[in-house]
Amino acid sequence: MRRFFRRTKAIAHKEVLHIVRDARAVYLALGLPVVMLMLFGYGISQDVDHIPLAIVDQDRTPASRHLSTSLVAAGDFVREADLVSPDDVEAAFRRGSVKAVLVIPFGYQRNLARGAASQAQLLVDGSDGTTATIAMGDAAGIAQATASGRAVRASLSAGPRVRVRFNPAMVSTYNMVSGVIVLILSMVASLLTALTVSREWERGSMEQLFATPVTRAEIIIGKLIPYAGLGFVQTLLVLTLGSYMFELPIRGSLVTLFTCSTLFLLAMLGMGLLASVIAKSQLVAVQFAMLLSYMPVAMLSGFMFPIENMPWWLQGLSMAVPGRYYLTALRGVLLKGNGLHVVLGNVVALVIFAAAVLALAVRRFHRRLM
Amino acid sequence: MKIVPIFLSLLNVMKKELSQALRDRRMVSTLIIAPVLQLVIFGYAIDLEVDRIPTVVCDQDETPASRNLAQAFFADRTFRRVADVADADAAQNTLETGDSATAVVIPRGFALQLARREAPQVQIIVDGTDATRAQVAMNAASQFLLLHGIGGDSGARPALATASLAPRVIYNQRLKSPVYMLPGVLATLLLNVTAIVTAMGMARERETGTLEQILVTPIRPAVLLAGKCLPYTLFGFVDVLAILILGNLIFDVPFHGSLAVVALGSFLYLFSTLGIGILIATLSSSQQQAMLGAFGFVLPAMLLSGFMSPISSMPAWLRPFTMLIPMRHFIEIMRGCLLKGAGITDLAQQLIALTLLGIAILAISVARFRKRLT
Repeated sequence: MRRFFRRTKAIAHKEVLHIVRDARAVYLALGLPVVMLMLFGYGISQDVDHIPLAIVDQDRTPASRHLSTSLVAAGDFVREADLVSPDDVEAAFRRGSVKAVLVIPFGYQRNLARGAASQAQLLVDGSDGTTATIAMGDAAGIAQATASGRAVRASLSAGPRVRVRFNPAMVSTYNMVSGVIVLILSMVASLLTALTVSREWERGSMEQLFATPVTRAEIIIGKLIPYAGLGFVQTLLVLTLGSYMFELPIRGSLVTLFTCSTLFLLAMLGMGLLASVIAKSQLVAVQFAMLLSYMPVAMLSGFMFPIENMPWWLQGLSMAVPGRYYLTALRGVLLKGNGLHVVLGNVVALVIFAAAVLALAVRRFHRRLM
Repeated sequence: MKIVPIFLSLLNVMKKELSQALRDRRMVSTLIIAPVLQLVIFGYAIDLEVDRIPTVVCDQDETPASRNLAQAFFADRTFRRVADVADADAAQNTLETGDSATAVVIPRGFALQLARREAPQVQIIVDGTDATRAQVAMNAASQFLLLHGIGGDSGARPALATASLAPRVIYNQRLKSPVYMLPGVLATLLLNVTAIVTAMGMARERETGTLEQILVTPIRPAVLLAGKCLPYTLFGFVDVLAILILGNLIFDVPFHGSLAVVALGSFLYLFSTLGIGILIATLSSSQQQAMLGAFGFVLPAMLLSGFMSPISSMPAWLRPFTMLIPMRHFIEIMRGCLLKGAGITDLAQQLIALTLLGIAILAISVARFRKRLT
């Protein structure tokens, strides 16, 4: 046992030297999460607004002008152009300069005055699905409000008895930042370790390691420890920045938060090691790590696409994605103040996952050359 | 007379690069499997239309009227009934654990109030953690309550509006996600094949010292670069074709435009992504640095390309920067070409932007490459 610790320590020490020697890589490894967090947090908004809109007003009456100005005034659309005839619509869409066109037909005001149904049409560019979905929903509410003479925003605001909990202002940043934390950790952690073993294969220094009495488990664990340290610094950095810059609330306990984060980190570092052990070349290891850790987390963790909307077989597949459990636990602890007993299921899943991945990495690590 | 030897050495470099790339079977399969997997998952996973929101019902009234109301709430597919609980605390609990995202609480006396023509009070609680979903749930719930005259301003039904705005989606009428995701998947994939693989591949030559060996041969730096890039360009073209065919076969992604414009757009795009790969390679001394550097470009580029979130809703100061992202122009070209049947004149602006970006990036990277050699 004492030998195990001594040899593991030696491997860890060697790995630390590798890390320290390449200071530039450390800066990049720490800088990348920060840049991503800033970009996601500030740049990417799920609140779709400023949709470029063109208006074809064939009616040219006070009523039609009222409709177009209130559509713009509601804030989701920006009046980009005024087109004379519906024939210009096609070209505007093709150039990609507008995403929606409001067409108010001749006789709009007259119909409205007579009490007959008068229809204006909103054409939405479906090639950008996110914008299209939201634009349609918003426009319907605005038109209804305009016609019945109420304040434009009224129909969009909450009805008296509907209450939003946990995130009353429905700030999409909270949602975004918590998802980004998961994404960043999954990526950076697995990429970091993906190169460690494969580099030794590629440079031939693995032969030298095999000539020593270190075992496979000692190599894996020894390589894991320094990167776990680096990963932990990243986790701290991302969580601290997230809560300061985006006023992300931390309503739950810090202990629960860091327990979950550390477990997830270990799972992701293990993924990178697994990729590294299988691949034997750095280039392939990076591709494997992306395929195993980043892609599932990005697509199946429920961060970008709601899990309940997926077909059953993808829902089943998402059960095998550790990011799903971490995301649920993270959002629960941060936004809902959930204690350990509520997120226990997620914690157990993360423990199982981390253990399984690390065990698999050791198993697949064959102590022979080629 | 000098063309022939240059051409020959170019062929040799390409041969070396190809055999090196193809030697590792797993590399080839990852380069092919990853995008296909991505396309399939994207195609099936993304359903941006928020529906089937898990909802619990807490019916404390337990009368026919309250049961009717609860049933009506689930009539369209916006909400999905996952459980019935006895009291409001239990409903709260399911929100906390995330088992449900909406709770409907019908208090005792609901039927009585309804019979007395008083406005009955029904409470709907929405989990705001996921803002997009919450927005949809709230709009649907408010509309439902208004329609049923519950808890409104005066309890009266709202006057029916006579004017309506009929929204109509064109180009991708059913808003199928593979159709608008495909250009983004393509752009990411090409960026991966070219920028990351080129950057790491060149860093590997530096790391293992084989770059020096090549440099002592009479091959010119420009030829060396071209020879290294061309195989990946080929790879990229094969990938573009495969994805387009696959998208068309599995997901009915239309192809309204001309193949020539798609090819031109892809070529110009590859031009700039390869340039980025070379640039990153000249800036790094190990594969690790090259990898991190490449990701440092790829990830922001993906975010700012309009692939996942619309550029128009980014803050004003950020929007001009997206013009510098080749991916943005490529996605616009592909969306225009595939879905809208846009021709070369419609997309002139994007094509010119890609050309300028490609020339600028490649010029900088070649200059840096030469400088590093001397």
